[in-house]
Amino acid sequence: MSAEETAREDPLLQALEGTAAVEEAPPRGPVRQLRIPMDELATSTRRLIDVGGHFAGVFRSESEDSLRALLALRGELIVLRTPLDGARSYPSLSRVTPAARLPERELHDVSGVVPLDHPQLDPALRPSADELERVVTGPETFVLPYGPIRSGVFEAIQFPIDTGGEDILAFTVRPYFKRRNLEARFQGLDFDHGTYLAERIAGTESVAQAIAFAQAVERVAGIEAPRLAQRWRVVHAELERIANHLDVGIKLAEDAALSVGVARLGVLKEQVMRLRARLCGNRFGRGVLMPGGVRREPLLSSAEVIQAIDSFEDDLRRDRSLLLATASFTDRLIGSGRLDAETVMRYGGVGPIARACSLGIDARLERPYGSYGRLGFRIARTTGGDAMARFEVRLEEIDQSVHVIRQALERLDGDMAALRIAITDASGEGCGWAEAPNGEVIYWIAIEDGRLREVHIVSPSLRNWPLLSESYRGDVLTDVSFIEHSFGLTPAGADR
Amino acid sequence: MLKWLFRGLRHGVVTTRYPARPEPAPPGFRGRIAVLGPGDAPQSLGDLCPTGAIQVEGGRVSVDRGLCVLCGACVANAPERFGFEAEYETAVRRRSSLVVGERLATALEGLRPTLGDRSRTLRRSIHIRHVDAGSDGAEEWEIQALTNPYYDMQRLGLFFTPTPRHADLLLVTGGVTNSMREPLLRAYEVMPEPKAVVAVGTDACSGGFSATTGEVVGGVDQVLPVDVYVPGSPPAPIAILHGLLLAAGVVTEEAAA
Repeated sequence: MSAEETAREDPLLQALEGTAAVEEAPPRGPVRQLRIPMDELATSTRRLIDVGGHFAGVFRSESEDSLRALLALRGELIVLRTPLDGARSYPSLSRVTPAARLPERELHDVSGVVPLDHPQLDPALRPSADELERVVTGPETFVLPYGPIRSGVFEAIQFPIDTGGEDILAFTVRPYFKRRNLEARFQGLDFDHGTYLAERIAGTESVAQAIAFAQAVERVAGIEAPRLAQRWRVVHAELERIANHLDVGIKLAEDAALSVGVARLGVLKEQVMRLRARLCGNRFGRGVLMPGGVRREPLLSSAEVIQAIDSFEDDLRRDRSLLLATASFTDRLIGSGRLDAETVMRYGGVGPIARACSLGIDARLERPYGSYGRLGFRIARTTGGDAMARFEVRLEEIDQSVHVIRQALERLDGDMAALRIAITDASGEGCGWAEAPNGEVIYWIAIEDGRLREVHIVSPSLRNWPLLSESYRGDVLTDVSFIEHSFGLTPAGADR
Repeated sequence: MLKWLFRGLRHGVVTTRYPARPEPAPPGFRGRIAVLGPGDAPQSLGDLCPTGAIQVEGGRVSVDRGLCVLCGACVANAPERFGFEAEYETAVRRRSSLVVGERLATALEGLRPTLGDRSRTLRRSIHIRHVDAGSDGAEEWEIQALTNPYYDMQRLGLFFTPTPRHADLLLVTGGVTNSMREPLLRAYEVMPEPKAVVAVGTDACSGGFSATTGEVVGGVDQVLPVDVYVPGSPPAPIAILHGLLLAAGVVTEEAAA
């Protein structure tokens, strides 16, 4: 086949036909990079979204002064590279997709490069708790500054709420109160120290962050972790998912003042956390992953893990049916914070939030990594789009995770001996991803002589925050905690 | 509701007896780093640590547990000099106590009974306000876990309160970011006297990984007087409970004075 014929067959190049897009470097795994001139970046992004692409993020690569826009497609992750060559502005992508608004404000704050025509280019990264702007102006309305310190043991974030006293007129999400600038901290680290840092970006998704990071390094190095390591990665990642979904259940039951439910789910979550500690010495699965595989033998045998999840599954089944039969609980979730699939697509939403709108968005199946392509499970989805639907998706995902863990461990065989392979040489750029409990996390990394030159992280919380604002339709103040907790997002992910 | 009652009773009591009885960490738990020796260490040993917690001075090694994120890089690369200890009771009153050299016989053994006595005599209730000043979110999970039936901190007279105006203890997680500095200070200022501050997690003790990024002021003690340091990344629930009991002692001591 000639190059032209190949181009005609390729849906990606078809979508970009007529632009000056040039494919760069042979694709590494399911990642493809295209060079796009600046004046065509927005159109190219638009066209890729039109063919089903999910806008994931945009940032400026400091080391080479260029822009990178990431678009997640089924089967491929697309990197659009636009050289800036000293230019201090470019046509904003926020005009093409609202999903670019926060990432572009970040980009502007960090680099000073101006996304022209951005609808609201206010400084974002160092918010002050006192600077509140009213979205709704009118008599008898006011802004309730909920946060950054909120009642209960929660992470810092601010939700200014425009209200007349009961109805929520507008709900704003102000992240970045705890931004630690950790992306910059990666510079100059080796892969080992880099993994330790990746595990500490967002604690509740430590394993997913580490997997995404490790796979990015592995892609640059052109290696794949051994199958045994892949299996254990799956076990840790799915235990993390179960713990997160149970945590959402605990918080929702607490909001509904269902104290026995809180206690029961609390017992189950603690059992999972203790299992994780017995498995690797850390309750969050830290210190397990490394680029090239896993660091050491698990402390439990696969039979012991299977036994533990068997008894867990039995317990959960009873609590779950009781929970779903308790009207004082379900009544608060049904109809609260409803989103529709079109809105979720427009904002590039990911994770259980998207799947509760019947969207089949899950990196484990869209762009399978590690062992996931060889394990049988289905995407949990449902239609409703409300807090109840999101909770149902999570319950179904716990079942699927248990199922996946069992498969991963049952099929361990003798010839899978190696836990890791050494990475001797790596230079270049690469991407890695993982489906964290609340959506896909993506790492874009640049490596020079075995050390990290630059790292950018696309977190599920950053991608989903705008949807939290969008989900308020006729809800009242007492619904706020239910809706927020049904999203299950960790501010630390966005405030990296 | 009756069904919930039976469901709740089904498992019997799972609650720990800590601090009256010891609560051992599971084997292999990465609770804290110990310096095993031998002396005469090369200067380059410090490079093993991603957060600069290892210091070598004149061949003598010390580890600052307040900076240590428990990643295990030192244990993996120099197992003859460093080791993990499956220990929960890691909280200390002075920041300098977190810097440890080669293992010395410590007075820690005698500490647990004293703490047990203290919490028994602690008839009054202690109210706790938590503030996240820049954590990675893991510490919040472990603090929240203290209310689950396994730890049930209410049995010790410890309660969370939504307002700092009712709080005796301020529990701070994370190194303090520029944006959280003011809100944290304000929460502390409106707390009634006597009050105590507990820094939960390595980030709260020193800033950890984020100490040098420019967006974080540093550990909580750069902003507020800290009474108890609970190192760990994150510290386990029992470790946090240990820290709370230490701090609860502070509150009663001052109230009596």
